Amino acid sequence: MKGFTGLKIVIVGCGKVGQTLVEQLVNEGHDITVVDTESSKVHQISNLFDVMGVVGNGASLETQKDAGVSEADLIIAVTGSDELNLLCCIIAKQFGKCSAIARVRTPDYSKEANYLRDKLGLALIINPDYEAAKQTARILYLPTAIEVNSFAHGQAELIKIKIPENNVLDNMTIAQLGSTITNDILICAVERDNSITIPSGGFTLKAGDVISFVSTHKSAKFFLKKIGFETKQVHNAMIIGGGRSAYYLAKELLNNNIDVKIIENERSRCDELTTLLPGAVIINGDGSNQDVLKEEGIDTCESFIPLTGIDEENVMLTLYAKKMSDAKVITKINRIGFTDVISTLNLGSVIYPKYITSEAIIAYVRAKTASMGSNIETLYHLFDSRVEAIEFSVTSDSGVTGKPLKELPLKANLLISFISRNGSIIIPSGNDEILPGDTVMIVTTNSGYTDIKDILK
Amino acid sequence: MNTSMIRYILGHVLRIESAFMLLPCIVGLCYREEATLPFLYVAIGLFIISSLMVIKKPKDTVFYLKEGCVATALSWIFMSLFGCLPFVFCGAIPSFTDALFETISGFTTTGASILAEVESLPRCALFWRSFTHWIGGMGVLVFLLAIIPLTGGSHINLMKAESPGPSVGKFVPKLRQTARILYIIYLFLTVLEVILLMFGGMGVLDSIMTAFGTAGTGGFGVRNDSFMSFSPYIQWVVSIFMIIFGVNFNFYYLILFLHFKKAFSIEEVKYYFLIILSAIAIIFFSIRNMFTSDFEAITHTTFQVASIISSTGYSSADFNLWPDVCKVVLTILMFVGACAGSTGGGIKVTRLVVLVKTVAKELRSYIHPKRISKVNLDGKPVEHEVVRAINVFYITFTLIFFSSVLLISIENYDFATNFTSVLATMNNIGPGLSLVGPTSNFAFFNNFSKYVLMFDMLAGRLELFPLLILFHPAIYKEMFEKAIHSKRK
Repeated sequence: MKGFTGLKIVIVGCGKVGQTLVEQLVNEGHDITVVDTESSKVHQISNLFDVMGVVGNGASLETQKDAGVSEADLIIAVTGSDELNLLCCIIAKQFGKCSAIARVRTPDYSKEANYLRDKLGLALIINPDYEAAKQTARILYLPTAIEVNSFAHGQAELIKIKIPENNVLDNMTIAQLGSTITNDILICAVERDNSITIPSGGFTLKAGDVISFVSTHKSAKFFLKKIGFETKQVHNAMIIGGGRSAYYLAKELLNNNIDVKIIENERSRCDELTTLLPGAVIINGDGSNQDVLKEEGIDTCESFIPLTGIDEENVMLTLYAKKMSDAKVITKINRIGFTDVISTLNLGSVIYPKYITSEAIIAYVRAKTASMGSNIETLYHLFDSRVEAIEFSVTSDSGVTGKPLKELPLKANLLISFISRNGSIIIPSGNDEILPGDTVMIVTTNSGYTDIKDILK
Repeated sequence: MNTSMIRYILGHVLRIESAFMLLPCIVGLCYREEATLPFLYVAIGLFIISSLMVIKKPKDTVFYLKEGCVATALSWIFMSLFGCLPFVFCGAIPSFTDALFETISGFTTTGASILAEVESLPRCALFWRSFTHWIGGMGVLVFLLAIIPLTGGSHINLMKAESPGPSVGKFVPKLRQTARILYIIYLFLTVLEVILLMFGGMGVLDSIMTAFGTAGTGGFGVRNDSFMSFSPYIQWVVSIFMIIFGVNFNFYYLILFLHFKKAFSIEEVKYYFLIILSAIAIIFFSIRNMFTSDFEAITHTTFQVASIISSTGYSSADFNLWPDVCKVVLTILMFVGACAGSTGGGIKVTRLVVLVKTVAKELRSYIHPKRISKVNLDGKPVEHEVVRAINVFYITFTLIFFSSVLLISIENYDFATNFTSVLATMNNIGPGLSLVGPTSNFAFFNNFSKYVLMFDMLAGRLELFPLLILFHPAIYKEMFEKAIHSKRK
């Protein structure tokens, strides 16, 4: 990226999300200033990354001046407090010209997120707990998948599965798959022995591969059924811990007629939850106690989601559940690193809210960096950030329209995985064209694309 | 420890040095001097060696404080070792120890010389000698950071190890940008001084070399008598620029971006000027009678005060002959030094301000034992860590200082010579008093004393700890860990 000058971004709050954001935004070449009240946290981040640190209350005018908010392009408030985040953004909007992104997690405000965003003039309000709950729910609707991401307003899905032993896909090339099983899905990425391939037609799949494929919801079910996967959604869910994430998830699942049982230790919270979620069964008990879990039927439940505030406990509960039952288990990891260790534990589906938050913000920042020609609609990091899946909206001056795909000079390690046109999903072949008004999803192991033009050589 | 990254950085530093060495070659070519060839050979040799060192880019670029310190200290040592070779080969300074002393004195911007006679040196050697000041003033690693995109944020540790001052901050979020701004300010001020000196009738090459000496607050003069025979105009220009280069560069950054109010409220800069004015007042009134006019007296007073406090070490008069009170004031100024974040040496004004304020705080605690109070600087409380680091710095400084004086005194010169030779080298000033006064030089010391003083110069320039850490056994162990491991296999 020659001649690229990054945005000036102020990040208030140096927690886990703040740090994840810094890490990724610095790599994309932006000028970052971090603000936190605790000087040790600020020092730690500014020693690790090429950023400037300011110690102080991010909502105070003086601190914001020190951090250079008046010249900044964007302020991102991700402190632990919703109110502080909103106040930061309001003050920054008053005296700077920057856009503002706030993290707001409390259910009280989250219902009004759109109202707040419009009235306060914020660019984005992000709620990682809610997004994590939605992502968890998507997996529970298709429990054989490891991960499900949705694109094009839910029209298309990117589904990650692992090919078991003796499956029909074992020793099958991608081209054979197209001719014998279905042409409506496209395999975007394959992970084998810790390395990622974006496969071409001649690539041979093996048992043990983790594949990511894109398709519509319907064709995905058809394909999975065809290769012998169960595609029914779960009927009940056991959730451990009754925090915010549990509330969001329970609400989403109850709306889809899945029975929910929540085990929460604190009596007063149980009382609250019974009022908030009349359809759910609320159990007052210690979710980390094996007897309680057995009594509530861990061995017979169809899905098990530990959502305690402690990551280590969640991992332990997952391992226990895997041993005791065949339930679909989804682990949420908020805080701890060691992603490479976690991936060797064979936990199955793991959800990281901090990445969900940073993905949304990075999608926004990239779109802001890009020229007006195109825009990023959605962005996901897959396979521990080694693969990016980005959905662009395309206009007539994008330089990719009106030509069959096979004639476009595409970069290596890149795949155009679907074109969404007038609400329908096209899995493209070389003869298809991109038209203005389409949205296009690409999957790539390169990183830093801000514009659809970036896919061309 | 990440030894391959240290090698890589060291390689880059030496490559920059080899490029810098081409400048004296150009000077030599202009004057058609035979001494050009040794410079060219060393530059080429260094380029080859350093290129071999950077051929393999390390996979792991992670870098912590200890690596930063070790890389910085080793860079300075190797830079001096290679930088002194041309002096030896071209015959300007035949003895290796002397050449090394002169080069370290140059890079550390000390300006203590072993040469009695400089006017007869080849121009290219003289140019290289002054140029080392300019390179060392802002620091070669800062230069490296400005031009080479090193990935990863941990390289702030390099700047921390090399830049003077208790807490090193950035102007802008990106380190590279910060380093560039520093060098732009530095270059601009240097060019400005060259132009003003040329107005005063100084030759181009002399102006450039003088400006290098001032900008790096070094002190290698271009004439045998330093500045005694120059016109008052030149003396005033140099005085003012010595003071300018002793100011915290934050000040210029803030001026550059029009934050005047903030710039003028930097406490350190205020105290810096206050100390300069008081010193000038005391010395002026005690030497008034020695000169024919008050103007002459104030010219020499200002020149000497500016030269000492900024740790430059030029001289326009032999202050060895001045009354004792003047010598004591100048000795105190040697300890004080310039501002943090400038090119000057010494203990630094901020540190002293914090130390004095800590004493005041201690006194207060005797009156109200339970009172909670903090040391404030620029209206903000100084973090406990910083205060602690300053206290330890001061103690370490004193320890090294007196051990060095002890080692020097073995040679049995008078006390003023022993004391001020260490003082002048450790604070990167140049001339001291008595035998090492402004009209004399350091040539008479034996080799042992010279190595002690060289150590002091490096320790002073790198602010003690980055150099001292090299002597910690754990660092050796970690550095040679890989070698030991592979042998065992």
